[in-house]
Amino acid sequence: MLLEGRDVTVAFGAFRAVDGASVGVREGEVLGLIGPNGAGKSTFFNCLTGDLTPTQGSVHFAGQDVTRLPPEDRAALGIARSFQVPLTFEGMSVLDNVMIGAFLRTAHTGEARERAGAVIERVGLAPFAHASARSLGTPGRKRLEIARALATEPKVLLLDEAMAGLTPTEVRQAIALVRAIHQSGITLVIVEHIMEVIVTLAERVVVFNQGREIANGTPAEVTSEPQVIEAYLGKRAARAMRRGA
Amino acid sequence: MGLLRRFLWPAIWLLVLLAFPLVWDTPFQQRLGTLVLLYAIAASAWNIVGGYAGQVSVGHVVFFGCGAYGALATYTHLGLPPIAGLPLGVAASVAIAAVVGVPTLRLSGHYFSMATIAVAELVRLVVANTEFLGAAVGLSGPTVPRSVLDLSFTSSLPYYYLFLAVLAGTLALTWRMENSRMGYYLRAIKDSERAARSLGAAASRYKMRAYLLSAALTAVAGSMYAIMIGFIDPESGLGILISVKILIMAALGGTGTLFGPLVGAAILVPLEEISNNVFGGGGAGLTFVVYGAVIMLLARFQPGGLLELLGRLRARAAGRGARRAA
Repeated sequence: MLLEGRDVTVAFGAFRAVDGASVGVREGEVLGLIGPNGAGKSTFFNCLTGDLTPTQGSVHFAGQDVTRLPPEDRAALGIARSFQVPLTFEGMSVLDNVMIGAFLRTAHTGEARERAGAVIERVGLAPFAHASARSLGTPGRKRLEIARALATEPKVLLLDEAMAGLTPTEVRQAIALVRAIHQSGITLVIVEHIMEVIVTLAERVVVFNQGREIANGTPAEVTSEPQVIEAYLGKRAARAMRRGA
Repeated sequence: MGLLRRFLWPAIWLLVLLAFPLVWDTPFQQRLGTLVLLYAIAASAWNIVGGYAGQVSVGHVVFFGCGAYGALATYTHLGLPPIAGLPLGVAASVAIAAVVGVPTLRLSGHYFSMATIAVAELVRLVVANTEFLGAAVGLSGPTVPRSVLDLSFTSSLPYYYLFLAVLAGTLALTWRMENSRMGYYLRAIKDSERAARSLGAAASRYKMRAYLLSAALTAVAGSMYAIMIGFIDPESGLGILISVKILIMAALGGTGTLFGPLVGAAILVPLEEISNNVFGGGGAGLTFVVYGAVIMLLARFQPGGLLELLGRLRARAAGRGARRAA
């Protein structure tokens, strides 16, 4: 496993948002994390990136225990992420935003600008390089977050609902971008609500429900599991589907 | 044209600053210019942590005081020229900044601002009760210069050029920082600390660096003040009003901009000096009223400061010009 959480539990008081989850991603894989709202997938995701420290359990990256490492140190090791609600640096230009990522691998301003320019080209934001981040719409911001993360030259990229709020056309464009990123050799973990995205991109899917991992397999396998259908649609719908089938 | 515009204006401004005390050459005007530069140094130093790093320190006077007391204590106890105490003041400042910064810069919100006020007041009270530092009476510099190293002059003119050089150094350092990785990281951290950290910017480490640099440069301003005035007591060296003054000057001109603090100082220092002159002893109270009004007006109408307003007006004028041409 390249990046994995072992027996991760995150408790907020008596409530366990994640309850003993053990999930990992292999090098070169695209792992999808799905589940209904409040299933704990984002919380688990934040444990992998270092935004949260698990109450119990541990997080490992490339054989190293990173449970107590802050996000900036994990970024240096090669873990990058996007945010569910984009956190672009609003006061800066698109280029400057990406430069912040590029500065992780070089202290030289000119070189950071050059590298950032190349990444912007790659994700198709070149026409907006000098526009302010504030002027971008949702699809642009999501793309900018991915560009910024790519500029840190990550080994694994974690995308938190990178396609939420996009139109179907924009989703298709974003899928093409994510696929290209994967083909360049970056391991991916994607949290996603849109099933189309998971089915087309993920090689393996882990389903969360009430803080626990309830299914693990290819997209086709997990979507046919009664437990998964039940978690998404409720018990009655699951029974009806079984009767229908 | 581009080259001309790039170098012409800075050259003109530099010339204005160099020629100022020779053109406006009464002692009052020269002193005024000197004080503007002194406060511009302090406000520029504050700007590094308050503007660029977005951590509003309301206790910066403690570093100012370190520099001032460092200079005059060195003279009083060791008989050395006051300027020899500058490194001591800088060292004390950096030490205090480290002690205050480590626990508070990790916290978000107003904890840092509150801690800085508390520390400044604490230090003022301690100094006011320490015989070694002159207690409530204060410390004096050399009344008669023993050598040129004492930097004790009757005219303001030598101080003017000394302060101008220090200000130039401070701004050059700030400019370098602004365009380096640290400057980029600080802007990112100010905007979204969480996103910046996810990209590898060690937020608390960079905020700390900015705070230490700012503290050191503020101590330099304090030493300069003590060397020029030749006297320091807990009120003039560690009073909370000085912190507020520094902060308002930077805010008025524009925090997080290179020349904002200089612009702020160039407006507020003359205002204060003139009101002190016109209203005499009663004018000190009026200064507070002016500061209060400046804070309210800025918060309501122009949080970005005057330089931002200027930039906006210029952009609007350019837009009108372009429309007319089209």
